[in-house]
Amino acid sequence: MVRALAPAGNTVTPHRPAAAIALLLLLGVVGLSVANPSVAAAGPTLVISSPADGTVVGNGTPVVVDFVVSGFVLVQPGRVGQVVGPTEGHVDVYVDGGYAWMATRVELIVLPLSSGPHTIRLQLVDDVGNALSPDVSPAVRVVATHGPAGGVPTIRIVSPVPAQVTGHDVYVSVEISNFTFVDAHGQPNAPNEGHFELFLAGVLRQDLSRYDTGFMVDLPDGNNTITARLVNNDHTPLNPDVFATVTIFVKGASVSVLYQTLSGGVAVLLAAILVVLIFRRRKAITRITKARTEKP
Amino acid sequence: MNVRTFALLVAMMGLVFLSGGSASDVRAASPPALSILLPVNNAVLGNASPVPVVFTVSNFNLTEPGTGPSSPNAGHVAVFVDGGLTMQVAVDAFRLALASGPHMILLQLVMDNGTALSPDVSQSVSVNVTQGPATGQPGISIAFPMEGAILGTDLYLSYRVSNFVLVPPGRLNVTNEGHIHVIVDGSFYAEVADYQPVHLGLPDGAHNVTLQLVDSLHRPLNPAVSASAHFTVHALVGRVIPVDYTTYFGITNLALAFAIVALMYRKLEA
Repeated sequence: MVRALAPAGNTVTPHRPAAAIALLLLLGVVGLSVANPSVAAAGPTLVISSPADGTVVGNGTPVVVDFVVSGFVLVQPGRVGQVVGPTEGHVDVYVDGGYAWMATRVELIVLPLSSGPHTIRLQLVDDVGNALSPDVSPAVRVVATHGPAGGVPTIRIVSPVPAQVTGHDVYVSVEISNFTFVDAHGQPNAPNEGHFELFLAGVLRQDLSRYDTGFMVDLPDGNNTITARLVNNDHTPLNPDVFATVTIFVKGASVSVLYQTLSGGVAVLLAAILVVLIFRRRKAITRITKARTEKP
Repeated sequence: MNVRTFALLVAMMGLVFLSGGSASDVRAASPPALSILLPVNNAVLGNASPVPVVFTVSNFNLTEPGTGPSSPNAGHVAVFVDGGLTMQVAVDAFRLALASGPHMILLQLVMDNGTALSPDVSQSVSVNVTQGPATGQPGISIAFPMEGAILGTDLYLSYRVSNFVLVPPGRLNVTNEGHIHVIVDGSFYAEVADYQPVHLGLPDGAHNVTLQLVDSLHRPLNPAVSASAHFTVHALVGRVIPVDYTTYFGITNLALAFAIVALMYRKLEA
């Protein structure tokens, strides 16, 4: 086509130096392309654009993975008449090393993950599932939690108040922030989630994972120190430790001692009878004495 | 090369051509196939999370239902759970929200109009969904009271469970799910299906409490998982009683009674 545009009757002789230069340039470009690793490595790429490495995914929401593929076409594997090629295939998704998902088009991948740290790895594979060569498989680490993704947990004892005088049984009501209560059933620790423990004089009394008030019974008379502590799913304290303390005074209602009460009551009754008898006896003596003196 | 040789050569080339063509026809006519990659058969899927299902097909084009003519090499996948049609998908991965218990997931290639291929192309897997963890040995421990403690009549039993999720009894029997049987002094006391402390009101004396993990059918786990604590109840533990006058009152009562009797006797004499 180019040759057809050349003026008729021109010879190639005058263009020999230019052709040689062009040839040299071409060779140079080819040489550079071979020597330059970045150009040589240009091939399929896969970038996880979200979540960022180390992200804490809060509130129990699934992890949404967004990715970008270049130099590679995502297609449905197993199509009729499909020819396996090095630049088309799909994305295999692994969570903590286990196969978890397949993406055959660029889409958001939603992964419901249990609380705790996880590693998400995406891998480009060809249509029959073989990894590319070189392997293209970026990974990110995330931490899933039912609690908020950020913030410093706090706890405060709302009731009883300090120095409150109570009976032997007392409700303990706490107020927390930046922390979510979950039932502890052996799951891994996760930021800002767990439960709380109630201590009496430093001795653990109850593990609680509801927002209901705790109920402590049979507190001894006198001063009692109640501590409410936020703990992880494995019952270890948070780091740094988050707790609240209140000291109350327990003064029970009258202690019902049946025997003592009965004995006291009988004593009073007997004393009254004795007084009455003495009084009547004295009156009788007086009356007899008076009668004797009036009858000489 | 004479005519005969040439004819033979042409015939051989024709045979080769024909055989090649028929071979390619055979390749083109390879039947569709379906393979479930995830979940694996008999997998236990924990934490009540939706079940991811990943499959691949071959010689079959996945198309959205209602988007094309019905063809034996194109269509979508009908998803059956426990025998019932649950959804239709045209992508290689999807999720199923399943209740706790065993389930059968069956995938079937169907044409665009929903009819199954002939012969049928389907595959199924059995899974077991649990709210508990998929793996791990269940455990239980008593956080309060501590072994050997002396306590008042009222007390709250606090416990810790691991690798086990408490659910109300009466459901299907599922791995790492169940509830707790509370046994006090060898007798059944209560069932517990949440994580709240258990109230005990016990008479004075030595007591033994055992917490046992059981499945939804009230059967102990295999191997059995339980925890026990021994403690003593004393009704007035922790109560401050300044002075106990019972003895003094008793002596006083005797003296008063004696005085009354004596007084009455002397009165009679008088």
